[in-house]
Amino acid sequence: MRVLHTWLQRYVPFTVPPAALADKLSMLGVEIEDVVDLGKRFEGFIVGKVIECVPHPNADRLSVCRVDIGKEILQIVCGAPNVSVGQKVAVGRVGATVPRNQHDPNGKPFVLSQVKIRGVESFGMICSAYELDIGNDADGILLLNKSTRIGQPVSVALGQNETLYDVEITANRPDLLSHIGVAREIGLVVGKKIARPLSRPRAGKTPISRFLSVRVLDKKNCLRFSARVIRGVKVGHSPDWLQKFLRNVGLRPRNNIVDVTNFVMYELGQPLHAFDHSLLQGKKLIIQQAKAGTHFQTLDGKDHELPPEAVMVCDAERPVSIAGIMGGENSEINEKTVDIVLESAYWNARNIRKTARMLGISSDASYRFERGTDPNGTVAALNRAASLILEIAGGELLHGTIDIYPRKVLPRKIPLRITRVNHVLGTRLPSSLVKKILKGLEIQVSAGKGGTFNCTIPTFRIDIEREIDLIEEVARIYGYDSIEEKGIASINLMQSFPTGHQSDPVRTSLVGAGFHETICNPMYDLARAKIVTREHIPIKNPQNKGMEVLRASLIPGLLDCVARNSNFGNRHVRLFEIGHIFEARQPLTDRQDLQSAVEEERVGIAITGRRSPRTWAEPERPVSLFDLKGELEALCVSLGLDKSKLIYYSTTESLTEQTLAIEINGTYAGYFGKAKTSLMALFDIEQEVYVGEMLISSLILSHERKYSPLPKYPAVQRDIAFVVSETVSADDLERCIRKSGTELLKKVELFDVYEGNELSGNQKSLAFTVTLLSGEKTLTDSEIEAEVRRITLGAERSLGATLRSS
Amino acid sequence: MDMKSKIDALLKEAETSLAQATSRESLEAFRIRFLARKGSVATLFDEMKTIAPEERPTVGKLLNSLRAQIQSSFDGKIKQFVQDHHHDKRIDLTLPGRSRFVGTKHPITQTADEIKSIFVSMGFGVADGPEIEDDYHNFEALNFPPDHPARDSQDTFFLSKNLLLRTHTTPVQIRVMEEHQPPVRVIMPGKVYRNEAISARSYCVFHQVDGLYVDEGVTFSELKGTMISFIKRFYGSSVRYKFRPTFFPFTEPSADIYISCFLCGGKGCRLCKQNGWLEILGCGMVDPNVFRSVGYDDEKYTGFAFGLGIERIALLRYGIDDIRLFYENDIRFLNQF
Repeated sequence: MRVLHTWLQRYVPFTVPPAALADKLSMLGVEIEDVVDLGKRFEGFIVGKVIECVPHPNADRLSVCRVDIGKEILQIVCGAPNVSVGQKVAVGRVGATVPRNQHDPNGKPFVLSQVKIRGVESFGMICSAYELDIGNDADGILLLNKSTRIGQPVSVALGQNETLYDVEITANRPDLLSHIGVAREIGLVVGKKIARPLSRPRAGKTPISRFLSVRVLDKKNCLRFSARVIRGVKVGHSPDWLQKFLRNVGLRPRNNIVDVTNFVMYELGQPLHAFDHSLLQGKKLIIQQAKAGTHFQTLDGKDHELPPEAVMVCDAERPVSIAGIMGGENSEINEKTVDIVLESAYWNARNIRKTARMLGISSDASYRFERGTDPNGTVAALNRAASLILEIAGGELLHGTIDIYPRKVLPRKIPLRITRVNHVLGTRLPSSLVKKILKGLEIQVSAGKGGTFNCTIPTFRIDIEREIDLIEEVARIYGYDSIEEKGIASINLMQSFPTGHQSDPVRTSLVGAGFHETICNPMYDLARAKIVTREHIPIKNPQNKGMEVLRASLIPGLLDCVARNSNFGNRHVRLFEIGHIFEARQPLTDRQDLQSAVEEERVGIAITGRRSPRTWAEPERPVSLFDLKGELEALCVSLGLDKSKLIYYSTTESLTEQTLAIEINGTYAGYFGKAKTSLMALFDIEQEVYVGEMLISSLILSHERKYSPLPKYPAVQRDIAFVVSETVSADDLERCIRKSGTELLKKVELFDVYEGNELSGNQKSLAFTVTLLSGEKTLTDSEIEAEVRRITLGAERSLGATLRSS
Repeated sequence: MDMKSKIDALLKEAETSLAQATSRESLEAFRIRFLARKGSVATLFDEMKTIAPEERPTVGKLLNSLRAQIQSSFDGKIKQFVQDHHHDKRIDLTLPGRSRFVGTKHPITQTADEIKSIFVSMGFGVADGPEIEDDYHNFEALNFPPDHPARDSQDTFFLSKNLLLRTHTTPVQIRVMEEHQPPVRVIMPGKVYRNEAISARSYCVFHQVDGLYVDEGVTFSELKGTMISFIKRFYGSSVRYKFRPTFFPFTEPSADIYISCFLCGGKGCRLCKQNGWLEILGCGMVDPNVFRSVGYDDEKYTGFAFGLGIERIALLRYGIDDIRLFYENDIRFLNQF
């Protein structure tokens, strides 16, 4: 909300310059988003008088003028048809920035320079209202009042020497949504009380009851309704000061009646509405709930279907205004209006907010009503508006005020313990200081029992409801900077929270293995949802088409990363992401709770391109499924898992082919495979990508480690190459070897696979290194030979394996 | 010949021989002839047995110095040789090392880890919560009444009438307090979602760290002390700061913390939008209504809470001008951190 410096000064005297004021208010909790010197854009523009004007020697439409700007006389070439001697004009000097260029299609500003126009020097420019950005008249130069002083800055002549503050109001402080409200806070800064504009408009003899009656049917939402009637007004343009005020706070002037209601809203914070009395059927206003489904045209010309919650101000026959939100086209002030009804009400904030949301309207009025206005401020605002209207638009104010206020809102009374103030803040504020602070806030304070103050809160401070709210007021006025900081806080050594995340070691391990950590958007589009084939959770109000559901897999995000990097020339990447995936147990309905959604932390991995960066020392090799398998095994080992506890089995997944599922300690832990070639087009990827996804919970392994003594005797290794039928898997043969060996056999590792010319077509060779070790002695050659024989014999018997002759 | 002459002779011989050794092979031959286990120096050591016991210490010294001298000359020669044969045709030592892929932690994780470690060192634990939340934990228990304008500040993605994507990590505070009795001292990092238009300055997904400390006698003064200590450790002890009153539904009194702009030192620049200060943290004393919603005695306990946006901190710290870079995962970007 915008407030104006010179207007604030009318309610509280202060001399603090704008920047310092903004700073001080900010430190009180009134955030000033921006301070704008409205006169600044007229820097370099001066009032001048045309003292000579002759036709340009070389151009028909131009004149050469001599303009007196006080200290000097400038020669200016002017193209306006209306320029003539004796005029007071706005002169832009060389170097000034003209706010709008009328020769530019977008009206972009430009800097004036000294130029020669058709051979005649010109030292500036005489400006139009358009060029000065104060109106749309671009046909001729702006003519200033004859009495304007030569040499005066144009900003002063135009009344633009104003500073504007853009105030960011927090949701709890609607009392600040007016000049009076902000002035009250300035009063705290400078130690002065505010002066409210007193308005006791002179009323005529005719009683209001002859022209208007009001009935409130919806007593729940219409908590106070006040109205006055003025007859015989002359609707027209507002005076300059009022138009200027409205423009500067960002409103468009309409007519003198509407302008006054807006002015009073910005001055006192109470929204008002004016009706054309002649358009109200039956001289009546009835406040009641809308009939569901009826349509209503608001005064901005839009048609709305009314929700049943909407509270309507109606005349004898039809609605004339959506209460607290916006008036109707059918009863608005127009140039023919003579008699007016002024409404000033207090509405149920929750209802206004609900209705405004449903209708999709946010007006200055609804913004204030939904935050909460002062219930006891309606009549003062009404009278302020009435006296301004009488002054500006004439007419007769009828005698009396209609004021329906069945349950008067009384000031809240809250006890405040001084001990509690200091207990929460960690201060030692004396009660005298606390009292002084509260009084400055217009809070009445009387001493109660045992160091307690009984505080009476003015009704415009709807945010102060509890003791803690008063403590907050004391803290902010005393100043956060004045509260001493304590460097020591007691630490509870029995803290029962972990000091890290379960996924931390997974991340560390993968980064060490050369993977880049990615963070992807957990929302993706329906095309991706379709290929993941899980029960996705849709977002009711998605930000755009690309983010319609929550991800049920980390892999689409990783594939998008692969594509992006590939497009920028990085085709050899290793990526991972640790993040949540989401799945619905069944489609979500409005009645369901959190149990209906599954949320799970996973790690997703993708590798593509070369196995290692290109090097002179090695031939280039693309990654394969076994690189990914190896990385996953290394990850598990680094997390403390025995590799032999990993169990793989073939499975099918919607995103991958050649897929293996992984079990750790008998529980499903995830899967990996080659990203399906058929899906690559969706991601715009042309290369092979291997991807996998594992549950973080399955990787949290027992970190209880136990030492086992190192063997006292050396281990021996023997390589054995078998020839088997191609139908025998490496895993079959390895299991068979383990089974055939005795307790001397400690390790079995496959190191070579061969299929080719040296063997017959349906055979392959698998070569293993076996590690033999005894806990009691160094093994002799014969013992080693015997063990190797047991193994080869076992393999021969179970799988028909023969030794490969070298 | 006595030992001394033998030693002198051997030294001379070695020097001559070393001077002539100019190839890899001849240097290796020299090493074997003089310095190896069965080389001539070792042989001389063996002769120690044959000399009179009273001479042994003197001779021993001489022998040791002989060995040291030959070894050091040899080492020098080798060093020189390696330098001279730097461009040897058979082994080009200038060839690059075999490179391997080097991984990186995402800059958001790095920033979060740094924040985490500072608070953990102050005695805070770490807690987690779900990203899908219900209205109760995300709003109501945090003192956002239904239909309250305070909800406007948090553009929410809804999944159903009751379920939504959490708009802040603050609901984890409620979950922690529902599970634990005071004292409670945790930080809660995580992803949050806001339905905001995507631009260089804002994205619909980002990360926050919330913090909570509840016990008997926790004061605003301690809140200040803890926050200042964090700021100084994160931004350096010379940073200037200010606490400005503000409003959050779940804390009262509440403060926004600003630090002096580290780019311009507070003079005003593009980063701080000319005002010299950067807003980095929101905090306050836990509102008694929040304690009531988790069943804590709001007379007995007081506490403070705080929250900060990790992206914002990382953007400012690294001078990144577009928040979307964090989610594009371009390795040209990731490799910079």
